[in-house]
Amino acid sequence: MMVEKRLRIALAGNTNVGKSVIFNYLTGLHQHIGNWPGKTVEKAEGTLHFKGYTIDVIDLPGIYSLSTYSIEEQISREYIVVEKPDVVINVVDASVLERNLYFTLQLMELGVPLVLALNQVDIAKRKGIEIDVEKLEKLLGIPVVPTVAIKGMGISKLLERVIGVAERKETPKTVIKFGKEVEDGIARLVKMLEGGHHRYPPRYVAIRLLEGDEELEKEMERLNPEVVATAKKISRELEELHGHSCSTVIMAERYEIAGRIAREVQKLVPPIKPRFEECLHNLTTHKIVGYVIMVLSLLAIFYSVFTIGGHISEFLNELFYGTEPLFYELFGIGAIGKLVWSVMEGLIAGVTIALPYIVPFYVILYFLEDSGYLSRIAFLMDNIMHKIGLHGKAVIPLILGYGCNVPACLGCRIMETERERLLAVFVTTLVPCAARTIIILGLVGEYLGIEYALALYIFNLAIIFVLGRLAFKVLPGEPTALIMEMHDYRLPHLKTVLKQTWFRLLEFIKIAFPLIILGSFTIKLIEVFGLLEPVALALSPITVTWLGLPLIAGITLIFGVLRKELMLIMLATLFGTTNFAEVPGFGPIQMIVFTIVAMFYIPCISTIAALIKEIGWKRALLITIFEIAFAIALGGIAYRILTFF
Amino acid sequence: MIKRTIPLTALKAGETATIVSIDAFFGKGCGKRWGFEKRLMDMGLTPGTKVTVVKSAPFHGPIEILVRGSRLVLGRGVAERVLVEVEE
Repeated sequence: MMVEKRLRIALAGNTNVGKSVIFNYLTGLHQHIGNWPGKTVEKAEGTLHFKGYTIDVIDLPGIYSLSTYSIEEQISREYIVVEKPDVVINVVDASVLERNLYFTLQLMELGVPLVLALNQVDIAKRKGIEIDVEKLEKLLGIPVVPTVAIKGMGISKLLERVIGVAERKETPKTVIKFGKEVEDGIARLVKMLEGGHHRYPPRYVAIRLLEGDEELEKEMERLNPEVVATAKKISRELEELHGHSCSTVIMAERYEIAGRIAREVQKLVPPIKPRFEECLHNLTTHKIVGYVIMVLSLLAIFYSVFTIGGHISEFLNELFYGTEPLFYELFGIGAIGKLVWSVMEGLIAGVTIALPYIVPFYVILYFLEDSGYLSRIAFLMDNIMHKIGLHGKAVIPLILGYGCNVPACLGCRIMETERERLLAVFVTTLVPCAARTIIILGLVGEYLGIEYALALYIFNLAIIFVLGRLAFKVLPGEPTALIMEMHDYRLPHLKTVLKQTWFRLLEFIKIAFPLIILGSFTIKLIEVFGLLEPVALALSPITVTWLGLPLIAGITLIFGVLRKELMLIMLATLFGTTNFAEVPGFGPIQMIVFTIVAMFYIPCISTIAALIKEIGWKRALLITIFEIAFAIALGGIAYRILTFF
Repeated sequence: MIKRTIPLTALKAGETATIVSIDAFFGKGCGKRWGFEKRLMDMGLTPGTKVTVVKSAPFHGPIEILVRGSRLVLGRGVAERVLVEVEE
């Protein structure tokens, strides 16, 4: 019997170097997208078969360093050290070699079997950079394979080299040396570390301790406190000698090495001029033209997501609701029929609300991100978004929130740190989506006048601003600092974009659908057992006494959790009229209070699912509870103020 | 030739200078540092590196710079703490 030959490889590299394109090329449709355990960082895994090997591929998050500044960096380092993949493929952007090699050098320090994928050699050539691959291979002591991932060039060569390295269990042959003083310090520490069994190689531990890596310091403090003390002493000596902190010295020297290697292997040829990318960059970041283009693009995105989504949604809605009689025929119009239909209704809610908007949104988001336009928008909008403690990129989810909160929340994954993601998600759920707009316009706009509706929107913006600032103050961690690479414009790889969309969609369905269906079923259960009245009565201290609303309105607030655009229809059914002006006890004040509560009180159940996917269920629950309490408090205060006048 | 140390934000568009240091202290007398210092250096802004300001976004927005052959954007608050040396 043949023994299955299995390999595990990991893709590592800076952001936007074409890592995900290579990942998609390698794994095709055999991939799985999830989150790293306990983290909100996405984990992409897949498998492929090549020359008798079954190869598991993992796409590590895009990072610039292996320090532990961000969760992404921590995750990547932990994975490489603990899980020990057979080979790490370091994907580098040939057009920005120096910065990319800085990361390569850190991987080499870790002593893992390494293969370099020198990607985007075509773009580099257009920019006027040609790279001597053999020389680079010799200088680094690891295999280097030039690739053009979007055309599939060099991928099988890459795999062959990977298998070669795995079979020979080859680690980097060359040790990259720092300056003499630093090397002396490293040598002293390595000597002390020898013989101990650490999960990291001694040289790596030595370098990292000199760099003041807090995570590693804590770990070594338990194992070998003497080494930590000596490392601190050496750092102080080096600091006095160089006039900079020891970590600065090491990072600067590492960059110098990267720069030297890059200069040695690069041959500058005349670039193709004028480069179209360059012109586009200048236009899209221009202080006037840039904003015009941005506003137009955002409008176009908004419009296309919601018209495309709207059409699909309507079509699916009719299609599904057409089956309603069939269900009642099959299961009867009694309790069972109603319950079975409620499951179906939940399914319809998921299929018609969330999916039609998520698909075009994801496609557009990946296009924006991969093409490089997202970073230009961030550049233009950073200042304004800073006012609510977010940086420029957050403008995308925020604006999309006005259409539907679900894709907007999912879009918050473009924020770099967990804190920023949390802030962005929170602010996004406060934005009135299309369903809430229906209530604002259909109730306040229709019966009180459009100026009142507008006033509510402005009120909403003010609340977003205040709560955003508050959350910014309350959440621990560093203030938002925009430090971002703006890579050259390039055409995104359509297949990768579509695959990314498809697998994210599957992931969302897995989380959202059970929740939506369960919600729908529970509410129907309450209705079937005639518990609607008692529940409404039980809620009356809040709805009637505190908010001053008619008893019936309380029921619609419960249903609003499922889908908010149904709230008005439901209100009409329960009141027995579509002319709300006739309803006794539901005057202008009640309309405003009802709308305020509906606007803030809870993101719908699909949004809660999106929250769970992005920030985990605990924090999703916290935000949900906070928003319910906040909306009710706000509504009650509004009621009191409005009746006072 | 006089050398002056100024924050990166004081450079005009198109000007080049050499990085001297990054001021990442919370406030006076407090030994704690912001983590962005390390992140800036990881992005290549180490002392001695040449940096060119390309432009800045309107209304005191972030600035676009060229460093080590790549294009970076720094928020104004961060850029103010990058100290550079110019020769006159």
